[in-house]
Amino acid sequence: MISVKDLVKTFPGARGEVRALGGVSFEVGKGELFTLLGPSGCGKTTTLRCIAGLERPLSGEIRINDRVVFNAADRVFIPPEQRHIGMVFQSYAIWPHMTVYQNVAYPLASDVGRKEIDKRVAGILGRLGLSTLVDRLAPNLSGGQQQRVALARALVAQPEMLLLDEPLSNLDAKLREQMRFELKTLQESFKITTVYVTHDQEEALALSDRIGLMHEGTLLEVGSPAELYLHPAHRITADFLGTSNFIPAQVEGVGKQPGDEMLVSTPLGSFVAQCAAEWRVGVPAELFFRPEYVDLLDGTDGAINGPNRGSGIVQRVTFLGNSADVIVRCGELALRVRAHPTRTPAVGKKVCFHVAPSSCIVFPA
Amino acid sequence: MKLAKLNVAVDTHNSSVRILTKFRVSVKSLVFGLTLITVSYLVLVPLLMLLYASVKSTEDKLPFESTVTTLGNYTAVLTNPSMLPIFLNTFLFTAGSLAVGLPLAVLLAWLLERTAIPVRTWIANLILVPMTIPSLLSAIAWIQLLDPRIGLINVVLRSLLGLTSDMGPFDIYTLYGMCFVQGLRLVPSAYLMIAASFRAMDPSLEEQSAMAGQNITRTTMRVTLPIMRPALLAALIYFIIVVMESFDIPGLLGFTARIRVLSTAIYWATHSEVGLPDYGLASALGTIVLAAALLLMWVYQRLTAHQERFATITGKGYRPRQVSLGVWTVPATALCVVYVFVAVLLPFVMLLWTSVQPFYSTPSADSLARVSFESYVNIWRESGVMRALWNTTVLALVTSVATILLAVLVSWFVVRRGKQADGLAHYLATVSFLPQCVPSIVIGLAFIFVYVRSPIPIYGTLWIIALAMTTRYLAFSSRATTSALMQVHGELEEASQMAGAPWTRTLRRITMPLLAPAMINVFLWVAVHAMQELSMALMLYNPDTVVVSTMIWNMWQNGRTADASVLGVLLTLLSALLLLAGHLISYLRRGSNS
Repeated sequence: MISVKDLVKTFPGARGEVRALGGVSFEVGKGELFTLLGPSGCGKTTTLRCIAGLERPLSGEIRINDRVVFNAADRVFIPPEQRHIGMVFQSYAIWPHMTVYQNVAYPLASDVGRKEIDKRVAGILGRLGLSTLVDRLAPNLSGGQQQRVALARALVAQPEMLLLDEPLSNLDAKLREQMRFELKTLQESFKITTVYVTHDQEEALALSDRIGLMHEGTLLEVGSPAELYLHPAHRITADFLGTSNFIPAQVEGVGKQPGDEMLVSTPLGSFVAQCAAEWRVGVPAELFFRPEYVDLLDGTDGAINGPNRGSGIVQRVTFLGNSADVIVRCGELALRVRAHPTRTPAVGKKVCFHVAPSSCIVFPA
Repeated sequence: MKLAKLNVAVDTHNSSVRILTKFRVSVKSLVFGLTLITVSYLVLVPLLMLLYASVKSTEDKLPFESTVTTLGNYTAVLTNPSMLPIFLNTFLFTAGSLAVGLPLAVLLAWLLERTAIPVRTWIANLILVPMTIPSLLSAIAWIQLLDPRIGLINVVLRSLLGLTSDMGPFDIYTLYGMCFVQGLRLVPSAYLMIAASFRAMDPSLEEQSAMAGQNITRTTMRVTLPIMRPALLAALIYFIIVVMESFDIPGLLGFTARIRVLSTAIYWATHSEVGLPDYGLASALGTIVLAAALLLMWVYQRLTAHQERFATITGKGYRPRQVSLGVWTVPATALCVVYVFVAVLLPFVMLLWTSVQPFYSTPSADSLARVSFESYVNIWRESGVMRALWNTTVLALVTSVATILLAVLVSWFVVRRGKQADGLAHYLATVSFLPQCVPSIVIGLAFIFVYVRSPIPIYGTLWIIALAMTTRYLAFSSRATTSALMQVHGELEEASQMAGAPWTRTLRRITMPLLAPAMINVFLWVAVHAMQELSMALMLYNPDTVVVSTMIWNMWQNGRTADASVLGVLLTLLSALLLLAGHLISYLRRGSNS
């Protein structure tokens, strides 16, 4: 279990201190895989390095399994080598002057005894499928092998938790997908509490138990992959995860109780949407829905009657393999629609569309 | 500086945190503090003592015994008419040596790097050979070739031209002679520096000019040289400092020629043949040289900092286009071959020749019959030779080990602590580089001031020479290890921390092994320089701590040419062996890693 409370970190910049983290708090449960997701420069790696002890925060508190490893007020700072954390770096940081065996045996204290070290190293190398590479030097390993060695080295001393800093970003696309599942299986079998840092949303969605979305040094929103993707609470989350349509709107009607639906008017027509916050009638807002929740209908005039419907002219169709990206021009607005690759409308044709109220979310403008 | 940090005891069972009131110092902070103190002490204290000594009236006294603070030393230096020739000679000697050495180096670098000249690898390697020969020995070799009376070239020329005079036509004991020898001496290192800039230049810039229909001459004049200008200017300033501080060649040639430059004037002020040493005068001269060198180094730093911003100099590993010289191939190749013959082979062969002759004689059938290795046997009977060789070996080893360890620590803190931006890392980088612009003779002088009365009893021992050399060579060494450490990704060390290793273990098991190639190179560089160094040793040695270079100097002063040559050849051999061993180690390491 990890708990991070009000973490603030500044870096010296050209003109005074630059704030990298402005009060980040979250908790990670035992055995959970928690992902910090965000664009580069959002503070996710800084947060990870603060947990590792490689950076010293300005204020806040970090606990690992109820042990305080950092507390600014009490001036507690446990150095990284005493935190019992395994970490995989973005560059893997395999020591090039050592063999695979020497790399993996390094974290084991010398008082364990030679035999025990041999046994543990052989065990972890076996689990990661590295048994045949024991005497190989690091420069002679492929990217995927280096990644496994880094993992073996991080796990061999049975740390209290695992930190992964963009561990898949240096692999090519095919290998990345394969390692993604391997990583997940491994993490589950070790039942180790893990904090994972990535800027790749697909990776985050596929791997995580929960995701924390970071933006400009703050933790914007925490939730399961499905929650964050389907019901984002912030426009930034919606925008960062997947592709989005944002339509200018005005609130027309609000339900009596939270959880009720709401009505907004847009240049496309009126839409019924989920109501997640307090809204007042007449407020300018933004309607959000994802391209894959737009259903294209046959272009008959009757189909546009009723809410959550609209029509437009097909402007462009981009074939993507497993799907097709369709741009529908509706007056001033261009709508992105995800269509089945074999059932795309012809360019220039008039189409109608429908979006289910459960897929529509309204954000403040 | 925060040396101490709170020791915190953490009880994992009830998750309570106790803070002990006792202060404990972490090893890393302790080492950082010690490094800061050591470097500051080694570099700043001697310089402050030099400044202090320069404003003390020192008639018949050491600077510390004097109680009178005065600017008299400076007034003496600046107004005494006997001082004017020293400044003039220094200026002429510097300008002359650069005029000989730099154009040659630029021409050779351009021919070997940018043209399709035949046998370029051979020539490029041979150009560097003189770097293993002590510059003291270069001077001796050229004296044997160009001495107005018995110099080989003069003798041969006289008989060829049928001259009746027993002097000339050349005289090495002149300012021209000094500039010539010093100029040739600059070529190898200047060549290395300039060739590197030629290599780093983006060839597409030249190709662009060729595409625009410009011929090779116009391309060279209008594109290549302007692009190279900052690099060439930086080299020029760097070598002004080198010539200004050079001692061996002006010391040896200028002794006979009675020509003094600033560096030798400092020596003679403290080793006067007639009177007592004048430390006040010497330190005033030293301060002036130091100020000039600091100013030049500042300009140099600004130039090279600017150079990095040039988009043209990139780190890509491409081979620039090589120009075909056409009809000029033969003359250009001939020029290179003549250079290698005259500047590299001739002096070396001459030294060997002198060392196997019982007395000095022009090469002839008779003298060939007299060739004997007797001097190489006899030299060991000379009292003190064994001691000098032993001292030199100890000095080289102690200096290089001390320097490399200090350099690694300095560069670790400079590189890895640099982002903390509390200025200490920057201070460390600046102070450790400062000795680069303190001439060796001035360091020697300043070390006398520091240790003659110091409670640290190393004056008159080998350790003071080792300490002076460590200070001087720290600048180059820490620069070299710093750039090597910047190539070592920080995550490699952080991975060791995360694996539970304390700082010292990380340094020993990860950082040092990864820096090993650079450390071996720096070790060799320092060891060879320490072996051949003359000016610091000359200022600080005594009969017990005589080293090979000071022994050669003394033999030369006493007119024992042949013995000086023998000892010089032995010193060169020792340096060459060391370099060979170093290359062998690097080669074996590379072999075992692949």
